[in-house]
Amino acid sequence: MFTGHRERNILEFTLSSLLRRRGKHLALVVIYTALVFLLASVMFFAGSIREEASIVLRSSPEIILQKMIAGRQDLVPMRYAEVAEKIRGVQRVSPRLWGYYYSPATKSNYTLMVPDNFSYGDGHIVIGNGIARVMSAAKGDRISLLSPEGDPLTFIIAEVMDSRSELISSDLMLVSEGDFRELFDMPEGYVTDLALSVKNEKELSTIARKLSELLPGTRPVLRDEILRTYDAVFNWRAGLMITLLGASVFAFAIFAWDRASGLSAEERREIGILKAVGWETSDIILMKFWEGAVISLSSFLMGMVFAYLHVYFTSGALFWPVLKGWSVLYPEFRLLPHVDLYSIFTLFFLTVVPYTLITIIPSWRTATMDPDEVMRA
Amino acid sequence: MRHKKAEVFLIATAVMATLLCLCLLHGRVQENLRADELAKRSRMVEELMLTDLALFMEARYTRHLSLADRHSAFQDHPMSLEHFPAGSLAGPPPHLTGVER
Amino acid sequence: MILNPAIIALAVSAFIITLMLAYASFFGLRIIRHWDITSGSELQLRLERSTYLISVILSNVLVFQLASLFLFIFTADRMHTLFVGAMCAAGTLKVNAFGYPVLAFKAANFLLAFVWLVINSADLRASDYPYTKIKYSLLLVLAPLVALESAMLGLYVSGLSPDVITSCCGTLFSEGKQGVGSGLASFDPHASLAVFIGLVCMACALGAYAYLKGRGHVAYSVVSLAVLVSGIVAMISCISPYVYELPTHHCPFCVLQAEYGYTGYVFYLTLLIGTGSGLGAGALGMLRPAESLSTVLPAVLRGLVAWSAVMFAANAGITLYLVGSSNLVM
Repeated sequence: MFTGHRERNILEFTLSSLLRRRGKHLALVVIYTALVFLLASVMFFAGSIREEASIVLRSSPEIILQKMIAGRQDLVPMRYAEVAEKIRGVQRVSPRLWGYYYSPATKSNYTLMVPDNFSYGDGHIVIGNGIARVMSAAKGDRISLLSPEGDPLTFIIAEVMDSRSELISSDLMLVSEGDFRELFDMPEGYVTDLALSVKNEKELSTIARKLSELLPGTRPVLRDEILRTYDAVFNWRAGLMITLLGASVFAFAIFAWDRASGLSAEERREIGILKAVGWETSDIILMKFWEGAVISLSSFLMGMVFAYLHVYFTSGALFWPVLKGWSVLYPEFRLLPHVDLYSIFTLFFLTVVPYTLITIIPSWRTATMDPDEVMRA
Repeated sequence: MRHKKAEVFLIATAVMATLLCLCLLHGRVQENLRADELAKRSRMVEELMLTDLALFMEARYTRHLSLADRHSAFQDHPMSLEHFPAGSLAGPPPHLTGVER
Repeated sequence: MILNPAIIALAVSAFIITLMLAYASFFGLRIIRHWDITSGSELQLRLERSTYLISVILSNVLVFQLASLFLFIFTADRMHTLFVGAMCAAGTLKVNAFGYPVLAFKAANFLLAFVWLVINSADLRASDYPYTKIKYSLLLVLAPLVALESAMLGLYVSGLSPDVITSCCGTLFSEGKQGVGSGLASFDPHASLAVFIGLVCMACALGAYAYLKGRGHVAYSVVSLAVLVSGIVAMISCISPYVYELPTHHCPFCVLQAEYGYTGYVFYLTLLIGTGSGLGAGALGMLRPAESLSTVLPAVLRGLVAWSAVMFAANAGITLYLVGSSNLVM
């Protein structure tokens, strides 16, 4: 494409003409780059978290069975586990014991869980890295949690979970079953919910139906639903952000239209002279095309590179205030890069395509101006 | 040099495109380098039977999005509208917006 | 309605493209009614100017139409995780009645825009613009079709709800079931491959004839359309099982996924461009030969036919490679 002598001449001329009105075009490039940067950051960020969720949560239990009373989740009696175990296709039913603990000292919520086999025994606790950071606690320290009656229970921190797992474990506290029941005063024979493992995925919906028949008042949550939740939530979130940013895209489009159509007297004279010295309308259209291409190409590339650096080298620093919301405790994680041709293509369609289409009519108007009309004006 | 500006532009564009390619390459390399990290997280999810990412810890229905039910946003009292910042970010999970099973 | 960046991108660009084409048709209509190359009137001058605009709009539309065809399939493929039962684009498109029509319209409109640009570029080379009225009549056909496509895209997107249970490609394209997909899948694989390769050979032979003798372009375009159809049939009934190395897997979309090295894109792209140029050559061959074009037209036609035949040959080469390098024995 660049080998053509005519194209090169026109590109050279376009660049000179762009540089002559440096300020005007620089503003356009800056806004354009910022727009690409914002859209790309949102997409990269949401895409990475979605990808992470879809990989990591594939290992979560096939079915979670919860009991509902008056619209609230309630404790599940162990007898339910025996009923569920008898359904054909259910391999294993594991009771889950977990709950939330609000710590008034740090004003944050923790998720307490009892692992299947807690090797450290009573009186010990394993905490997520986020909790360790908020409490500035380390392995071997003692922390105390309050029971509903106000009695403190003291634990020795046996382990702080790997900081690289913060995306799933930042607010987790693992304790033994005995400690959990004592802390929350939870009766024996009851658990928070049940996790069912099912070997054959095709039987999942049948099993879920049987569960609701045999145990009315329970709610089965399938792993597929868990996975789709994160897929949809981040699609939705990215979509929402882009819809909000749509206002900026629209403003940008108006700005671009204005830049392309509002010609200064000097520009008009330039076109007039070009026509007078024998430039064809198609040459000027080609020049306008190059002008758009130069602006789009540099803004798009710069915006993408900046967005990549922002999301994967600073972990999306600009998004943190929004993501944190009111939480004191929040995960600190380095996202795994997940950028592919698809996201680049989508971004291209969100920015370059509208820009190109919107500048067609103004540049055509410019290109078809009469030389004498222009010169006289 | 006759086409000085054109050459500068083409070189600059090539540099930017290369940088973008390097970014994509960096992504691929990281994906491979940190595969064990990901596998570790998957194992943790399996062992602890986790269902959610620890992203929004303000409210219980945003902490465990996939376990949220229709009542969770109104749990405090009937007119208690959803008011956590995270609620506006995370959006409703699809199993709540669809038809009740 | 699912808010997804790519869906927003598709909807917004479809909207702008429709608006631009409506704007262009408005000029097109005036050109059809008032075009008179011999006149030097103010109106004729204005009309001549607007032809530049329409060519620019159409060439942009063509490029974005092709890109959006692939973005659409790509998006449908990515969204399959949102729907119960879907495993690739085949299931996502099946979520409501508009998915497959949008795809068909996108492909058809791409081919039409291609033909339009071929006629346009020939027309612009002549001093008296002999095809102007034909060109703008064709534009008046294309614009409503694109508008219809955008409307259907809107309906498809607004009807996407995550709780729909759809089918996966395994049931849509399986032998011995009802429906178009299954009907295509149950063709004899080797026969359909033979028909496809045979048609490509025929296209190349006819192409060589048309290239050398400057005749038979209409026949060539008919054959190129047949190549497109037989290529898709062969993909469903024969090539896809070889690519996936599973005799029962007939999906024409899974081949677009990364795990098959994106060979699907090369396959469909060469097929579409080959057919587009073939149809363009046919359209030019069918038009009344204009005197002002007698020196230019043969070269244009030769270029189109050669380009189309090369694309088809490349496509057949890829197909044979995919089938030959597969470990599947059928």
